[in-house]
Order: sequence, then C-alpha cells, then structure tokens
Amino acid sequence: MSEVFRDTEAPLGRPEAPRGTRWIRWTVVVVLVVPSIWAASGLGISMQRILEAPADMWRIIRPMLRPDFSYNQVFERTLPKVMESLYIAWIGTIVGALFSFLLSFAAAKNLSPRWLTFLVRNLFNAIRAFPELLLAFIFLPIFGLGAWTGTLAIGLHSIGTLGKLSSEVIEGIDPGPLEAIHSAGGRWPSVMRFGVLPQVLPTIVAYWLYRFEINLRVSAFLGVIGAGGVGAELVSQLRFRNFPAAGTVLLVTICVVLIIDTVSSMIRRRIITGKAGEEGPTELFDEPAAVGVL
Amino acid sequence: MTQGARPAPPKKSAVPYLAVAAVIAFTVFAARQVGFSLSQIVNNFQTARDFIGRFFPPDWAWAKENVPGPMIETIQIAIIAAIIGCSVALPIAFWASKLTANNRWVYYIDKWFLNVIRTIPDIFWAMLFVTGIGFGAFAGVLALIMFSLSIMGKLLSETIDSADPGPLEAAKATGAGHTQAVQASVLPQVMPNYVAYALYIFELDIRASTVLGIVGAGGIGRVLEAQRAFFRFDRIMAIVIVIFVIVFLIEQVSVFVRRRLV
Amino acid sequence: MIEFKNASVTYRGGVRALRNIDLTIHDGEFVVIVGLSGAGKSTLLRAVNGLVPVTKGSVLVDGKEVAGASTADLREIRSHVGLIFQTFNLVIRTSVLNNVLMGRLSKVPLWRSTLGMWPEADREIAMQSLERVGIVEKAYVRASNLSGGQQQRVGIARALAQEPKVLLADEPVASLDPVTSHIVMRDLQRINRELGITTVINLHFLDLARAYGKRMVGLQAGELVYDGNIADVSDDTFREIYGRAITPDDIMEMQG
Repeated sequence: MSEVFRDTEAPLGRPEAPRGTRWIRWTVVVVLVVPSIWAASGLGISMQRILEAPADMWRIIRPMLRPDFSYNQVFERTLPKVMESLYIAWIGTIVGALFSFLLSFAAAKNLSPRWLTFLVRNLFNAIRAFPELLLAFIFLPIFGLGAWTGTLAIGLHSIGTLGKLSSEVIEGIDPGPLEAIHSAGGRWPSVMRFGVLPQVLPTIVAYWLYRFEINLRVSAFLGVIGAGGVGAELVSQLRFRNFPAAGTVLLVTICVVLIIDTVSSMIRRRIITGKAGEEGPTELFDEPAAVGVL
Repeated sequence: MTQGARPAPPKKSAVPYLAVAAVIAFTVFAARQVGFSLSQIVNNFQTARDFIGRFFPPDWAWAKENVPGPMIETIQIAIIAAIIGCSVALPIAFWASKLTANNRWVYYIDKWFLNVIRTIPDIFWAMLFVTGIGFGAFAGVLALIMFSLSIMGKLLSETIDSADPGPLEAAKATGAGHTQAVQASVLPQVMPNYVAYALYIFELDIRASTVLGIVGAGGIGRVLEAQRAFFRFDRIMAIVIVIFVIVFLIEQVSVFVRRRLV
Repeated sequence: MIEFKNASVTYRGGVRALRNIDLTIHDGEFVVIVGLSGAGKSTLLRAVNGLVPVTKGSVLVDGKEVAGASTADLREIRSHVGLIFQTFNLVIRTSVLNNVLMGRLSKVPLWRSTLGMWPEADREIAMQSLERVGIVEKAYVRASNLSGGQQQRVGIARALAQEPKVLLADEPVASLDPVTSHIVMRDLQRINRELGITTVINLHFLDLARAYGKRMVGLQAGELVYDGNIADVSDDTFREIYGRAITPDDIMEMQG
C-alpha cells in the first residue's frame, strides 16, 4: 500500500468481516455451556437449595462471629493445635526442600544425562499428582494417627512440587559464569559454588518460603483425618455445633496464616530484590506452563 | 594516576548468623513436637511392607461397580465450581487492582476480602458448607467456588496491575463510563491470561474435589473414607490409581491448551 | 469553543505545570502548541477534557465548566472531545475496527459494548471514520500488525468516530518517521478543513509547526508566552518561546 496522500484516489472497498470470529464465539459458548448443563443436572442441585443456602450459612456463621475467647478454648485447645500445624508445615517444608534440592540437580537437563532427568522428573510428577490429603490417607495405617503422618505427607508432596520448580530454575541459568569458572581451571565443586548456586539459590529459597505458606494451610486441614494439627479441633467443634468455638479456631488459624504470609512475603521480597524488586513466586509458579503464557 | 583511599570493608553483622541459629533451633524444636523419628520409619519398615501388601492387588471388580459414579460426581463438582468461581472472580479481580478499581474504598475492601478468603483452606470451606447446608455435592461446589475465586482473584488482579494503562486512558477520554472503559481496553489485554488461569484452576479444582468428599462434600472422597473405615486398602488403591490417571489426563490436556495460548 | 480562564495546574508534590493560562480557541480553529518538554503542553491538552483537573481557575468547553464537573457531565464533555496520543494507545490484541468502535463507547449501553453487539449505525460511523483516514481495508486486521503510522491513523479514526466537536492531539507524530508524519499532519489538516472540527495539536518539531499551523501558541514553564498567527512567526519567536537557541533536534527534517 503506497503512503501517498489518499483523498485524491477513489476509496477502496470495505473488507468483509472474517467468518472466523463467529465460529470462535460459538465454540466458547459450547465448551462452557454443555459441560455446565451436564454437570449441573448430574449433581441434582435444586433451585430451592440454592435459594435457601445463604440463610442456612448465615445461621451457622452468625454464632461464629462471636468467637469463644475463653482461656480454655484459645490457649489450651486452639493455639497448641495451630502451633502443631505450624511445626508440621515447617518440618514438612524443610524435608521437602532438602530432598528436592538434591534431586533437582539430577533432574536438570543442563546438568544431568537424559535418562536420569527423565526418571527423576517423572518421579516428581508422580508424587505431585497426589494431593497431600490423599498421601496422608495412605500413610495413616502405616505411621498411625498424629503429626508425624501429616509431616510425611506434606514432606513427600513438597519434594514433588519443589523438585519440579527447582529443576526448572536450574535449567534456566546463564551458562556464561560456568564457562568462565571452567576456563579459569575450576572443577565442579567450584562451578557449583560460584557458578550455579548464586544464580539459583535466591529463587529456589523464595519457592521454599512460598511452599511453606501453602503447607501451613495444608497442615491445618490434614488434622481433619487425624494427621495432626488444628483440623481435628475444627471438626469436633463443628460436629458438636459449638459455633463460637469453631469461630475461635478459624480466627486464630486465619491470624497465624496471615502473619506467616506477611513475614514470608517480606523475606521473599528481600531475597529477590536483586531482580528488580519482584515479589517472587506466587501460586502461578506451581505450574510453569502458565508462566510461559505470561 | 593515584587511586583514592581503599574503601573500608562492609561491617560484618551478626544478624545472618543469629537468623540461621534461630532457624536451626526452631527446626529442632518443631521436629520434636511432630514426633520426628527416623527410627520410627526404620522400625516401621516391616510393618510398612505388610501394609503395602494389603494395598495390592487393587480390587478392580469392586471398583468397576462403585467408582465411576462418585468419580463422575467429583468431576462435575469441579467443572461447575471452576466455571462459576472463575466467572464471579472477574469483577472481583478488577476491583482488586489499583488500575481498574472504581475508587479507593472498593479497592481496599476487595483486597482485604481476597486476603481473608485465601487464608481459609478449601477443606475448611467444605466443612463449613457441609455444616451449614448439609452433606453432598452442593457443599463441595460452594467450597470450591470460594477456592477458585480466591486464586483467580489474586492471579488476575496481579496481571491487571501490570497491564498497559494507555488504552484505558484513551477509552476514558472518549467519555465512556468506568466499567465500559475497563471492559473495552483492559479486558482484552488480560484475556489470554484469564483463560490460562481458568484452565490451571480447573486442574486444581479436580484435585481438590477428589478429597473434599472425605468431609462429606460429595464425590469420590466419601467412598475413600468409607473404605478406610473398613480397612479395605486394596479398594483404596484402585480408587487412588483411577484418580491419578484422570488427574494426569486432565493435566495433559490443560497444559496442551495453555501452551497453544502463548 | 474552548476557554481557559486563569487556569493553573499544580501537581501533587508541588510541580506547577500550568500557570494562569488565559486562552480562547474558537470553533473550527487549527491551533498548534509548541514548547520545550515539560513546558505544560500535555497538561494543557488534558485539562480540556478533564484527564488532568485544573487546581485553580476554570476551563470551559462550549460554556460547560470542566473543573469540578460531575462524573456524568465530564463524560458528556469528553464524548465531544477526541484525544489522539503520541503512543497511539490502541488495544493491540484486537482488530482495528474494534479499536475505532471504542470511540462510540459513550453512545451505547454497557451490555452492547461488552458482547460486541454494536448497532449498525455505530458500525457505519466507525467504517466511515476509517475511510476518512484511508485505511478501511485494514478494518479486521489485528492492531499489532500495523505500522506506527497506520496505528496513529486508527487513533485518529477512533477520535473521529466520536463525532467530536474538538480534536486534541498530543504530539501525534513524535513516534513516526518524517514521511508518515507529513501524511498524518495533512490528514489532521484536511479533517479540520472538511469537517470544521476545532483542532489543537501539540508539536515537538518546529518545522512541522511552521508548515501546518495556522495559529500558534507557545508555552514556557507552564506560562503562555506567545499567541499569534503562524505567518508572523520567525526563528526569533521560537528562540524566545524555548528560552534557548534552536537545535537540529527541534527540526524534524534533520532527524535520523
């Protein structure tokens, strides 16, 4: 198309609307509506239940809004259990961090042979497919009720998620410094210490912290099946319809989680400040394919 | 050319060492609290081996009859929750971004709301809804809607924060109302991300849905809990394998579609 | 008609972007505004449609007060004022036509614009705007696939689709090469002549100002220091407005 002053020429004809757009719209509608109808009919949720739901919920939430602040409830029942969840999450994350860290090098395509990365990566994927609750479920008969089962479940699952993320961080490093160390005569311990670790540690540690935040929530509910933590307390209070006490449990849990979240975010921010002040990972990074979309 | 005086080396602070020491101390303390015991693992190896034997062979005959129904219910719960949760999350995400919130109040209240919702694990939501409206899939759907909402709200609002504000200024300059301007100028920018997040959240919902039934919120979890009570680990193994396969398949599809969105 | 009456803009932090501006622009005029970067040109333009509110004095568009106008009134004023940006500000993910239709946002209800169900009349106006700037054949092309000059013309079409009484252009050609800049300036000139739309253009390059301007307004450090016919403008005038000698950076034909 020439860039000549236009209004001395006869105007060009208007183009036709492309047919593609209609087709896309219909596909989207079909993809969304058909499964919804299938799902909704299968679940058999009547209109009446939907309309009654807010009132039903308010009936139990209202008493929760006046939590039971008695010494017994807060300090003898709730707080110790919340702390137990904290310990479970902490140890679970540490276990997950340590093992995943070691294994991630085996899973990194730029540091390990093909067969090994294939093995370890699929090991990570296999572990990751199991939600922590399911793992705890399986461990219960083996390790018994209590915090240790929960810790193992969280630890194992974390190895899977952290392992995948860490190996991807390692794969993304700049090979330049590694070459420089090689050519200066350094052998692989030096390459690791001065070339690989400084590049990957900040991001990986940030992932550990973020995982800890998530694991805290997980350990809170693992108690529901008896794997330790505050979940069991919530279950029993709800079962006995002791709503003020349940409110206390929720309140304390929310507070502790918020505190940990805030502290963890601050630390993550400081660790990553080298990288233009990003906040570091968010839930997004649990599935790096989504990172690519950004 | 003469150089200036050499700079003094940065003061070595004790803080990092103290921090590391504190962390280690806390870890040891916590380990004791949870009953960390390597010896227990070793001792239990034999018992573990016995137990593992009880997981195999998986009871497929029983599974063929009793798994498909609840499993389908699980998937249905996840589908509805993902669709409703992600849809409702759209306005919530826009209100939670400084770029597109109508005013300061809306922004702060919405952010606070999202933060609180995020702290409550999905299982707790399920327990609350089960207590309030009764056992069954409805409670599960509601719980996962809150779950999906909270994740989409956070992810999408952060994406909106980094969107190009130029087109929004242009839209406002034409005299469009706030919502119209946002929908015409910012929404198209974040659409691909929104779809990618929705697929990701659907994956999460499927995984979460499999276990919600343990607290009575419908789906295969109910069956798992029942079988656990009867110590039928061979049946539990069958269920677990089915879950694994389905989650894996859905994950592959989701990753595939998301890659094509790039 | 646009009137500035003793208008001042002071940003938070104390920066005085505009000081006591008194300026009247009549319907159908073609005005270029020159001045150094930071002299207040962008602020002046954005004060007209309220994107930057004046902190003192008043700005009137067709007798309606912009400063302190209610949200509804502000939208009404803005719907008659088209703004063209240096960085085009198109939604690059969507088609040219959808971008131009944004000019009609204030005239259609929310549900129509959300679902993309624009009335036939509005589509027609959008198409005609594209024809007027000469790129209607690109109507369904994704905006990101256009060159800079083409994107700016889409920006102009978007403003035209508003059927505005006033056209404001904030350094519309600063990101374009000389040949395309001339095309865009000529388009703006032609629109002003054929449609009688009041046109106010911020310009960075002095040769462009001389070539296309009819009336020229000069800003220096937020103050109005010159207002007169382009024919009376000499190099000395520019030197006074700029407060320094003219450099090749100020002349477009001397770029690159």
